[in-house]
Amino acid sequence: MNCTLRRTLASCLSFLCLVVLAPRARADQWTAPTPEELSMASQAQVPGAAAVYLFKEEVTDDKLHMWSKYVRLKVLTEAGKEFANVELKQYSSSEHGGYTVSDIAGRTIHPDGTIIPFTGKPFDKLIEKGQGFKEQAKVFTLPDVEVGSIIEYRYQLRYDDMYFIAPDWYVQSDLFTRKAHYVWRPTNKTLVTSDDQGGQLTSGIAWMPILPKDADFKQTRMPATGQDEGQLVMELNMHDVPAAPNEEYMPPIQSLTYRVLFYYTPYRSGEEFWKNEGKRWAKNREKFIGPGSQVKGAVAELVTAGDTPEQKLRKIYAAVMTLDNTSYDRARSAAEEKSQGLGEVKTTDDIWARKRGGDDQIAELFVAMARAAGLKAYVMAVTDRDHNLFLPAYNSLSQLDDDIAIVNIDGMDQFFDPGQRYCPYGQLAWKHTLVQGLREVDGGGTTFATTPPESYKDQRIDRIADLTLDEHGEATGSVTMKYQGAPALRWRQTFLRGDETSLKRDLQTSMERLMPTGMDVKVASIQQLQEYEQPLEVHFEVNGQIASSTGKRLLVPADIFEVNAKPTFPHEKRELPVYFDYTSSTLDAVRVHYPASMAVESAPATQQLPYQKTAMYTLQSETAQNAVTVRRSFLMGDIVFPKEEYPDLRAFYTKMETKDQEPVVLKIATQAASQ
Amino acid sequence: MRHVEAKQDQVSQDQATSLSTRPRGRAGGLPGWIPGAFCAALLLGFALPATAKTDSVPDWVRTAAAETVPHYAPETNAVVLLDETTYTVAPDGQAVEHRRHVVKILRPQGRNEATIRVGFDKDTKILSMGVWSIGADGHEYAMKDKDMSDEGYDDGGIAFEDDRYRVAHAPAGDPGSVIAYEYEQRNRPFLTEKTWFFQGELPRLNTSFTLQLPPGYTYGTVWAHHEPAQAADLEGHGWRWEMKEVPGIDLQRVPLSPAPESLASRMTVHYAGPGLPASTDGTWKSVGQWYDALFRPRIVATPELTAKAQELTAGKSDFFEKTQAIAEFVQKQVRYVAIEVGIGGYQPHAAGDIFHNRYGDCKDKAALVATMLSTVGIHAAAVVVDSDRGVVNPDAPSIVSDHVITAIEVPKDYHSLRLHSVVTAQTGRQYLIFDPTWDQTPFGQLEHELQGSYGILVEGADSQLIQLPLLDPALNFIHRTAMFQLDADGVLKGTVTEKRFGDVSETRREVYAKGDAKEQTEFLDHSLENDFTAFTATGVKVENVDSLNQDFTLSYSLSAARYAKAMGPLLMVRTRVLGDLEPRTDRKPRTAPINLDETMQAVDDYTIEIPDGYSVDEVPDPVKIDVGFAEYQSAVQVEGNKLHYLRTYTVREVTLPADRYADVQKLAGTIAADEESSAVLKKK
Repeated sequence: MNCTLRRTLASCLSFLCLVVLAPRARADQWTAPTPEELSMASQAQVPGAAAVYLFKEEVTDDKLHMWSKYVRLKVLTEAGKEFANVELKQYSSSEHGGYTVSDIAGRTIHPDGTIIPFTGKPFDKLIEKGQGFKEQAKVFTLPDVEVGSIIEYRYQLRYDDMYFIAPDWYVQSDLFTRKAHYVWRPTNKTLVTSDDQGGQLTSGIAWMPILPKDADFKQTRMPATGQDEGQLVMELNMHDVPAAPNEEYMPPIQSLTYRVLFYYTPYRSGEEFWKNEGKRWAKNREKFIGPGSQVKGAVAELVTAGDTPEQKLRKIYAAVMTLDNTSYDRARSAAEEKSQGLGEVKTTDDIWARKRGGDDQIAELFVAMARAAGLKAYVMAVTDRDHNLFLPAYNSLSQLDDDIAIVNIDGMDQFFDPGQRYCPYGQLAWKHTLVQGLREVDGGGTTFATTPPESYKDQRIDRIADLTLDEHGEATGSVTMKYQGAPALRWRQTFLRGDETSLKRDLQTSMERLMPTGMDVKVASIQQLQEYEQPLEVHFEVNGQIASSTGKRLLVPADIFEVNAKPTFPHEKRELPVYFDYTSSTLDAVRVHYPASMAVESAPATQQLPYQKTAMYTLQSETAQNAVTVRRSFLMGDIVFPKEEYPDLRAFYTKMETKDQEPVVLKIATQAASQ
Repeated sequence: MRHVEAKQDQVSQDQATSLSTRPRGRAGGLPGWIPGAFCAALLLGFALPATAKTDSVPDWVRTAAAETVPHYAPETNAVVLLDETTYTVAPDGQAVEHRRHVVKILRPQGRNEATIRVGFDKDTKILSMGVWSIGADGHEYAMKDKDMSDEGYDDGGIAFEDDRYRVAHAPAGDPGSVIAYEYEQRNRPFLTEKTWFFQGELPRLNTSFTLQLPPGYTYGTVWAHHEPAQAADLEGHGWRWEMKEVPGIDLQRVPLSPAPESLASRMTVHYAGPGLPASTDGTWKSVGQWYDALFRPRIVATPELTAKAQELTAGKSDFFEKTQAIAEFVQKQVRYVAIEVGIGGYQPHAAGDIFHNRYGDCKDKAALVATMLSTVGIHAAAVVVDSDRGVVNPDAPSIVSDHVITAIEVPKDYHSLRLHSVVTAQTGRQYLIFDPTWDQTPFGQLEHELQGSYGILVEGADSQLIQLPLLDPALNFIHRTAMFQLDADGVLKGTVTEKRFGDVSETRREVYAKGDAKEQTEFLDHSLENDFTAFTATGVKVENVDSLNQDFTLSYSLSAARYAKAMGPLLMVRTRVLGDLEPRTDRKPRTAPINLDETMQAVDDYTIEIPDGYSVDEVPDPVKIDVGFAEYQSAVQVEGNKLHYLRTYTVREVTLPADRYADVQKLAGTIAADEESSAVLKKK
């Protein structure tokens, strides 16, 4: 939350004096390296790390409108030299709120203690300059950096007068940090928040810490002087902070790295924040939703008096699904809107009139239309699970990404995702399932809510191959893919972002990746592409070598869809829980007709493999005259597995993936008969 | 090269309409080029008529928009209806470029054509710019200056450069709409050549280039990938070249494809006139001399630098060892950091500064190598190249390029088996070609991207085009050996040793030199997951990571559960245990040349001891294919209770004409089949 200070010109001038005078007092304060720092070649906790932060410091002083930052970094490998290139952003705006970088100083210290000061002048690199703003970066590179060097630099960020920004301390970064020190001396003035609602007077500060137990986070107040109540000081000291984790199949925890996020706030508690800000948020949404006369008129034409609530809702859902969802193609500029005689979008009437809108606007239109049909409907704002998790302790609406809809039918709340074009009625896009958010309730308030899960049965891919094999191992035939739920939505939205040609190309590429290398794949037809309530069906024609010959035998992949599969979990060690985007079902049926001159010598034995109560794998084969059919199913019913379960989960996947690679062995029939 | 005397009257500044495409570096060195259509980003500028500020489009846009668009393949994103450049040189040599560009969006993927970016810096100021569009519904839009912004380049490899883009997002950028822009821009003052890139990713219906020179000036043209075309004499208003229906070059989904820039047609105009400084006249010699004038003043030794050179070569008398010491110092101890301002895109910093700071870009590194060598009596010159093979075209002398490397003169009677990347110039002098920017190529060799391509040897009056050598495949090899034991449950256990030398070791050297322990483990796991579904690798040992002149060696113990598939009484064992050598091909008709990337040799030598109680029922047949540019052979021998698999793959050439694609497909198919072949073991 950005804040502007209400104060007199005189007080502005006094702040300016402090700003000007302050930096020089710190400019030459460097930390002398210890012998251990000079000689260290690695950090035990992160063997082979490119570099480690020896020390990071950030001091924010509101009275001076200034942030001081100091970095000491040890270069441990060649890759670590990259950290000697430093880019510091600064911003200026004709409407205040800018900040500038100043007082840059730096030096390089070689392992023998030799000090090479940075004597150059940083370059001003333009990032973007537009109407009323300019974003730049101060760019410099520290001299003579070698493996083993300590690089140090410090600088100050100075904010415009009349402008305050509460600091965010992101302690965890890509590098291990030996020691970190953060200080904030907040202003004790009353501020006015700046947002689109008009300002509110702040009454204090609040923060959201995510810290380990041993973090030294404290607040102290300096002794009062005169009428001054004494400076509040927030301080954090941490040591041995690991690098931010990064693993395959990791939960969306980018919002959960060690940090303290501060904000000036007009509220005394988080509860009060969400209650009041929720009301403001809901009021805003309500103003937009209406419904107005155009929406009411449209709904009156769509539904009939005899429709059940569900029938009404289905008609409305189908109607909003036909609108141009500009989140998937292109938002129109103001010039375009104007050229079409359209003004600013203020209500859902404007969206209906345009027959287009962004994803949130369409979700809100759906709510408006449901209400116009006499149903109780609400908006819910959620955090997208594809990149983040909602944190109620973080008093910020900025963490809410998308709007979905809730409609009460026959006393039951049902969730809808009309902003996700082609999402089936009554379902949510996977990124909106099992997430927390803020929802409207009757009476103009809000409350936290959690969205429901989707069943693995609804997220399904059927893969069917019918192939005819010749004596040389070359197969010709058809493949049918049937997608439901999340996989169908993904392909349909791929189509929305491109066209049928690009969709065909992407489908072909995806099938080529599944099939044995070198197979010729053609998309024969795409069915029910826009019938989002139905499965999406794609038919392919395939041709190419699928079997390898040993001379007397042909080895044919049992499940051709798994022939290129790689191990899901190749690594033995795991730091984080395993996380999948959504539950799923994959059902395969592969029939291979082989030449009459051949016979099945061996085919995979039936195997059923459960994982606890959450997953099940089955593979079976059956042989009929001149044809072998392999059926495989894999059902995954959960999305998160604790780190402790990793060895078992990995073992389950390994068994399954190994079984998948078993071939069907065909032998020349005469030889088979003679044996 | 053809020269024509300029006859027209002096062109006033008001008449001057022209544009310049700022050549830009990729590897951070000498700026190269980005043809307009390859990067919808670059280009533009010019003096606009007063009507441009009204909310309607100029007539020339309407005229272009009315063009009938031929039938194109459904994957054509957009078509350039008009691309018109006028390049005007004033009597003082200052050139101004005026450009008009009109494009029609054909499908949603063409929407990015509505985002226009015109590159400029302090030397190439945009004098004026206008942007218009016509929506698919016929509505016309004219953008205002305030709707445009300036953005800096976001080139991760360059620490600082003063290049910027003027950016405009034209309204109505949907299929069926027409986007147009026009700009006027100053050209770089120190250049006397202008390249017209008239072929790009998008097809172009009408494209033209007009040259306007003051009296007394001469010009000549050179052409790449196109027959020279005759200019129309505009009788006092310059010369005009026109092209119609130039096809686009789209190689995005073409396997083994060369860089599009290496195939695109272009014309370079060289001009000269009274008062102009060193001009290029369309010969490689003149281009080299032009660059020599920028490069040579920078190779001035300082005491600090000289002392270091002498320290590095102390006690060494052998030419190779002396040059190696200095070259490897610059290669490894001088950090790659590019700082380019104005002419700094072409000209290196002073050698003393580069040495003091221990950082620089490619041309800086080349300058420092040359300077340090000069202090120990060894001569070295710059070689201007492009990191994409084929862009520097022998038919078209110009500064179109993006990288600078070093040519170290080899003493007349000196011979060494360690000197591989050697060329002999027309002067008879021999040079060792070395790239101090490529930090994983051994001294004495040259990275594969440059092998077989051309470069400009910058040697004053002896400047010339040279072809960089194609190195012996044996200098770029993979040699995997392994001894395994297989048990009756299908578990394969053994030790693997993988030796690599040359560029094929580059990725692994990077990972094991710069990656942390976790990254290294994950790298090996991801390599092995291509060949095994369940495995553990232990006892990983790596040798010679930083010793580029020695084999990078990786060894480990491997255990792969259920490697052999038990099918009834049979055990199926894939004899090619590790490694993937198959070139990726498709089944589509081929028109583009084939890029095999690098000469190399791979040898896989695996022994598998079979479990007790089993005998060998079948082994794959031996394979041998020699298609000239490459050879592959493999065989499995049964030696007692062991299977011995040995294969050798050699790539001898890097570029092939399209009509050899059938051979490449055959080679790929043979390798793929062999890689999947199994031996069949049977219970006794």
